Amino acid sequence: MQTFHIRYRNTQGTLMRILNAASRRGLDIPAVKAEPAERDHQVTLSLEVNQKQVGQLHREWYSIMDVTHVGPGAEQAAEWSAPHPPAGVSLGESRAAAGA
Amino acid sequence: MIKGADIVLQCLRAEGVDLVFGYPGGAIMPLYDALDGSGVRHILTRHEQGAVFAAEGYARVTGKVGVAMATSGPGATNLVTGIADAKMDSVPLVCITGQVRSALIGTDAFQETDVFGVTLSLTKWSRLVRTLDEIPEAIAEGFYWARSGRPGPVVIDIPTDMLKAKKEFSGPVKFTPKARPSDAKAEAGFTDKIVALLQKSSKPVALVGAGAKISGAISELRGLLGQLNIPTFATVHGLGAVEPESSYYLGMVGMHGTRAANTALNETDLLLIFGARLDDRVTGEPTRFAPHAKIVHFEIDPAQLDRVRPGEISVVGDLADTIPAFASELRRHTLPDFKDWRAVACGAERAELDPRGLAQPTIRFLDELFSRLPQDSVIIADVGQHQMWAAQRYCSSSPRGFITSGGLGAMGFALPAAVGVQLAKPDTCVLCVSGDGGFQMNIQELATVHRLGLPVKMVIVDNKYLGMVRQWQQLFYERNYAETDLSDNPDFVEIAKAYKIPSFRMKEDVMREFPVAQETGDQIDRFLRSPDPELLVFDCAPEANVYPMVPAGAALSEMLLEEEPTQ
Repeated sequence: MQTFHIRYRNTQGTLMRILNAASRRGLDIPAVKAEPAERDHQVTLSLEVNQKQVGQLHREWYSIMDVTHVGPGAEQAAEWSAPHPPAGVSLGESRAAAGA
Repeated sequence: MIKGADIVLQCLRAEGVDLVFGYPGGAIMPLYDALDGSGVRHILTRHEQGAVFAAEGYARVTGKVGVAMATSGPGATNLVTGIADAKMDSVPLVCITGQVRSALIGTDAFQETDVFGVTLSLTKWSRLVRTLDEIPEAIAEGFYWARSGRPGPVVIDIPTDMLKAKKEFSGPVKFTPKARPSDAKAEAGFTDKIVALLQKSSKPVALVGAGAKISGAISELRGLLGQLNIPTFATVHGLGAVEPESSYYLGMVGMHGTRAANTALNETDLLLIFGARLDDRVTGEPTRFAPHAKIVHFEIDPAQLDRVRPGEISVVGDLADTIPAFASELRRHTLPDFKDWRAVACGAERAELDPRGLAQPTIRFLDELFSRLPQDSVIIADVGQHQMWAAQRYCSSSPRGFITSGGLGAMGFALPAAVGVQLAKPDTCVLCVSGDGGFQMNIQELATVHRLGLPVKMVIVDNKYLGMVRQWQQLFYERNYAETDLSDNPDFVEIAKAYKIPSFRMKEDVMREFPVAQETGDQIDRFLRSPDPELLVFDCAPEANVYPMVPAGAALSEMLLEEEPTQ
């Protein structure tokens, strides 16, 4: 289970677009918490995902117009140093994930 | 005080819109009522899907935002396929839908659908207007997102009471976006890193996608490719971006790409990608895509980077900025001459087995058509075998000269899209190539062609099958042609005549000669140069196949080059 924190401007449909990125992949969303955070909003999601899906979700969330930041839970923070994850994933891992 | 409908139209004019495509209905009637005298010309199609595909055709050929209008409920849901198509192929599109009046929203009122919800995952941005004051801002923001960055579709859903209500209107507004994390710029020094990779490479290649066309950086791209002088190929949407006579150009890559392109991609050790998102029709089996290559990806949309596998260098930004920057810096460096690699990759040994298409009369037919087209003609292909044959034989250097539904693969696209293209380019020869299956999916737009007197040249490649599905059934489902037989097709010649459109039939046997008979050539010339719309039905062998073909799940190196011997 991985945790994601997504900051967004609370405009029409933005939260739904964030959740849809997970649901369109058939992922269960066992925990969601959306709340105001400073000047924006933040939604925290827990998802059972593989490394390939992490990269896909990261990119898709960032492509939503009013998303301002996508970050990991504390336990995955070290894995998120690359500018465009999963750029930090090795070729072997990427291939394995693609076949998952 | 003016009505909301008038505000919508004034805002559209402010965005440069003078042409919209649509179909009226209850909830959007106030907007139709206000059209007269607005400066916005409305094109009535005969189905909302026709309207949205026509708007796409207009957008694809001009680079401007296409606009489609429909009413609530079924009108709006009929737009959905076009919206999905625009998302996949990065087409700037704004759909304006009427909605039931505000008080009825959520009550399952007559012709109410949640179009905002239905299209949420298909749109780049959308808005359900809740107050009259929101209209100018919604339209300004919608157009901004439709055309900015990687273009895409936008839906603006307006309750009918908002269109009827009146307010003081001080004029259209401008939208200024807030900074976004994905507004990244290419990192400094990327050229040196790419040059270092080129200097270590022995088999570099370039892959060109739609991004170069969308960015308008065609001449810059061509200049850069000339500097690089490495084997180059294009996706279906990249066709026309590279001058086909270039000595390093290998044609289309992917599932039905050329032998030379797919082989080079399989062998390369350095892949430079310019504005392509690498879908599975381009990559073949993703885990076996360009297995020896390091990847450098020039791309405006960060969401497309590293999708297939991590790139070595990602150059994020508009190709109109990054290509000139790269080309300029490149001049300071001396690159290796990849002469030996070019000789292998572009050599005659990798040419197509049947370059003149003599074994395949439909290919001969398309060659005859395309070679006789006036310069700067636009070809619109539908979806299926004819689409891939047309893409394989497209040999123009007109960047927006080949238009098709590539990502979504929406049958029925071509005829209405051709309407939009012809309206955008009234003096251009517009050739619409469809199959017998796809043509019938929006055949009603013959009425639009006739009504407007558009000189669209329509071709049906009629094999009396859903040909591409049948081909897969033949190759991978033991010839079980389940529900792909269309041998009871109507007589398309007679149908066209019923729409008052001239039409004629051509048998494939006339294409078995090379060169074709003078009479046949003259017939094609007359067809292409007629000032009127006309339909040509080309009888194609029922079991003709498209080759090369990379089977689903196979690597690009595993092309089928010809028919397996049959029992």
